Amino acid sequence: MAKEFKPSVVTANDLIEGDSVFLGALGWVRDIAEARVALSRDEAEVLEADGVAGEDANIVVGPYLIEVSVATGRPVPVLRRERIRVSGVPTIPFGVAAPAERRAA
Amino acid sequence: MPRLIDRLGPAEDIWTVLGAEDPLPSSGSVIVALERLDEALAAGLELGVHLPNDTDPERVKPHFDRLSLISVDFPSFTDGRGFSIGHCLRALGYEGRLRATGPVISDQFDFLLACGFDEVLLPDSVAERQPPEHWAAAEGRITLGYQRGLAGRGSILDARRTAGDG
Amino acid sequence: MYRYDEFDRRFVDERVAEFRDQVERRLTGALNEAEFKPLRLMNGLYLQLHAYMLRVAIPYGTLNGRQMRMLAHIAETWDKGYGHFTTRQNIQYNWPKLKDVPDILEALATVEMHAIQTSGNCIRNITSDPFAGVAPEEIEDPRITAELLRQWSSLHPEFTYLGRKFKFAVTGSEHDRAAIKVHDIGIQIVRGEAGEVGYRVLVGGGMGRTPMIAKELRAFLPKADLLPYVEAILRVYNLHGRRDNKYKARIKILVHETGIDAFRDQVEREFATMDRAAVTAPEGEMERIAAYFAPPELTEKPSAPVAFERMKTLDPDFAQWVERNTSAHRVPGYVAATISLKPIGGVPGDATAEQMRAMADLAESYSVDEMRITHEQNVVLPHVALGDLYKVYRGLAAIGLEAPNKGLVTDIIACPGLDYCALATARSIPVAQAISKRFASNKRQREIGPLSIKISGCINACGHHHIGHIGILGLDKAGVENYQITLGGESTEDAALGQRLGPGFGYDELPDVIEKIVDIYLDLRQGRRETFLQTYRRVGMEPFKEALYATAD
Repeated sequence: MAKEFKPSVVTANDLIEGDSVFLGALGWVRDIAEARVALSRDEAEVLEADGVAGEDANIVVGPYLIEVSVATGRPVPVLRRERIRVSGVPTIPFGVAAPAERRAA
Repeated sequence: MPRLIDRLGPAEDIWTVLGAEDPLPSSGSVIVALERLDEALAAGLELGVHLPNDTDPERVKPHFDRLSLISVDFPSFTDGRGFSIGHCLRALGYEGRLRATGPVISDQFDFLLACGFDEVLLPDSVAERQPPEHWAAAEGRITLGYQRGLAGRGSILDARRTAGDG
Repeated sequence: MYRYDEFDRRFVDERVAEFRDQVERRLTGALNEAEFKPLRLMNGLYLQLHAYMLRVAIPYGTLNGRQMRMLAHIAETWDKGYGHFTTRQNIQYNWPKLKDVPDILEALATVEMHAIQTSGNCIRNITSDPFAGVAPEEIEDPRITAELLRQWSSLHPEFTYLGRKFKFAVTGSEHDRAAIKVHDIGIQIVRGEAGEVGYRVLVGGGMGRTPMIAKELRAFLPKADLLPYVEAILRVYNLHGRRDNKYKARIKILVHETGIDAFRDQVEREFATMDRAAVTAPEGEMERIAAYFAPPELTEKPSAPVAFERMKTLDPDFAQWVERNTSAHRVPGYVAATISLKPIGGVPGDATAEQMRAMADLAESYSVDEMRITHEQNVVLPHVALGDLYKVYRGLAAIGLEAPNKGLVTDIIACPGLDYCALATARSIPVAQAISKRFASNKRQREIGPLSIKISGCINACGHHHIGHIGILGLDKAGVENYQITLGGESTEDAALGQRLGPGFGYDELPDVIEKIVDIYLDLRQGRRETFLQTYRRVGMEPFKEALYATAD
């Protein structure tokens, strides 16, 4: 049985900077709010192909589709992994912030 | 794009690769598959053989004196079995031309030479992006390695002794 | 410690220039991502969940103050001000940019460091005993052998495109602090019948999805035969290891499928026929390396100086730290002090640039300018005089690294997990933090005694969960983090793989579950000297199973 289609966006990592990027209307963007959302399988296929073109053009690395919920207007990934990735940071205080938090506690 | 490259740069490929069904020519230099080696040996041609990278190098040892070229298959550049096969062929005494055939990359050139290879034959997909200048730049990029007993490269361990003596 | 000569320096400089050129060719497209990926990995550069990650080699975990300062400088200049010390005695940075990495490698080279082969399907950083050169019972400093292997394995033309990664560990002591039985090749320095020093060689250990304890390949290998022998092993592996399935490509699978005796025959045949003399290190090379590892000249000192004893009485926290975090040194009046990178609620193995510099200061002032990174993700000051220990302790307290918990329940190993790692299926760090906070009381930790908890955020087992007394493996179950518990793992000379307790637990349940396991142990142990592992080996899995799953029935 074919899996039910969910709205999707294409994400990848920027080749030079390494951070997460999303395919927007005019190119790759940092904010998922500006990402193109595919609302059908056909749209998703086009989006994915555009993502691969971005890798072929040496702009991004490893493009792939992620399922999102668009209930709030802003796309929110369905999977925990992708939500963490979209947030851009770990789920915990890190680096110089980590010991500071403990001292305050 | 030149597909055959050796230490001196792009080279002309004088070898004809014989397909599985192709009849043996009456003259010329041909590379045959391992399965057709016995048949080709009988024909008295200038002969090369193409080895898949799961071949036991001992398998061709009896024919070393009749082989002018051995081509070792690199199905992908990350499949490094061919490096050991090259090393073993040299260790077994093969002195003819040794070719790496497949999508290897210029960054592996020194390693190939050190394992006894003389040349690489590239598919177009790689040759287009990696012109001969890249291969020339890659050769000898790391002047000396730490390993000893390799054909194509000097050893730091030996250089230290020389430097110490001097 | 080892210092580069002109040849080592040129080698590393050339390697940096090569990588700079590779990055340029990647940006122009001359190298595509499929081609570039193995090249960047062999220079320590991953692409992780949020960013690139650079893993810098700290060969056999040894470094000096100047090198640690450079690690701090890199953290501040090109990253976010901190680094993460790993279970392979390395350090990794979580936020570098591709365009900066050649500059970072160039900076490392100025202090005789590199990131060569810290990743990729090649021979990785050689690990060793963090107490090398210090431990009283040691036969020979294992770092001499590890350095010879480091050099031999660096850009080995024949063995750099292996079927899978390949890990060596070397120990010079019978008591194994280098976990040699869970390595592709484990080397133990031993004495032969005539008292001569040689090697016992183990092969085919490893963790990951098919954990295995290494098997003995050679009971005794003469020292001079090391390089040809490992070359023979690698050749057999490179030619015959599986390439059809990356999960079956490690040498442990080849050894397992071939059988250790048949595998040994293959290695010995290659060893017998190869040109051994051509490969062997030339005479004098081992001695040249050994000279760098000559023990520092330490003057014997009183084993209980008055001021030191007085400070222990005046400051009970210091006394606890001394008891827990210092180890015997072969010179009277000295100890090796372990700096725990596991403050309560902290991120295991993380250190800020400020903390790195403070550790460098302490090493320079009080430990003959030397530090060691341990596979438990801590740092050791190997040569501290007892009379200096209080100053060291105060220095550590000033940067929040005075936790007296070495080897205790809060000395947790954890992989970066889903907070950083692209492969992870669940988070590890917050789990470690929650457990650490639950057992925060020093008194309670001491009451519990030696207990190692190791957490991996996926089946690849970077957090070594298989060899934790309590192992925790985070998985994804239909979108929900689920954690499997194993009990009874051990990493030392009596290494064992942990056994699965039963069905996994949810993220929020873990601190309670671990506490319950600990309580059962405390309840069952025969006297305070019986450790968790001893109790588990005596009573087995049943009592733990019963207590944790009984209510669910």
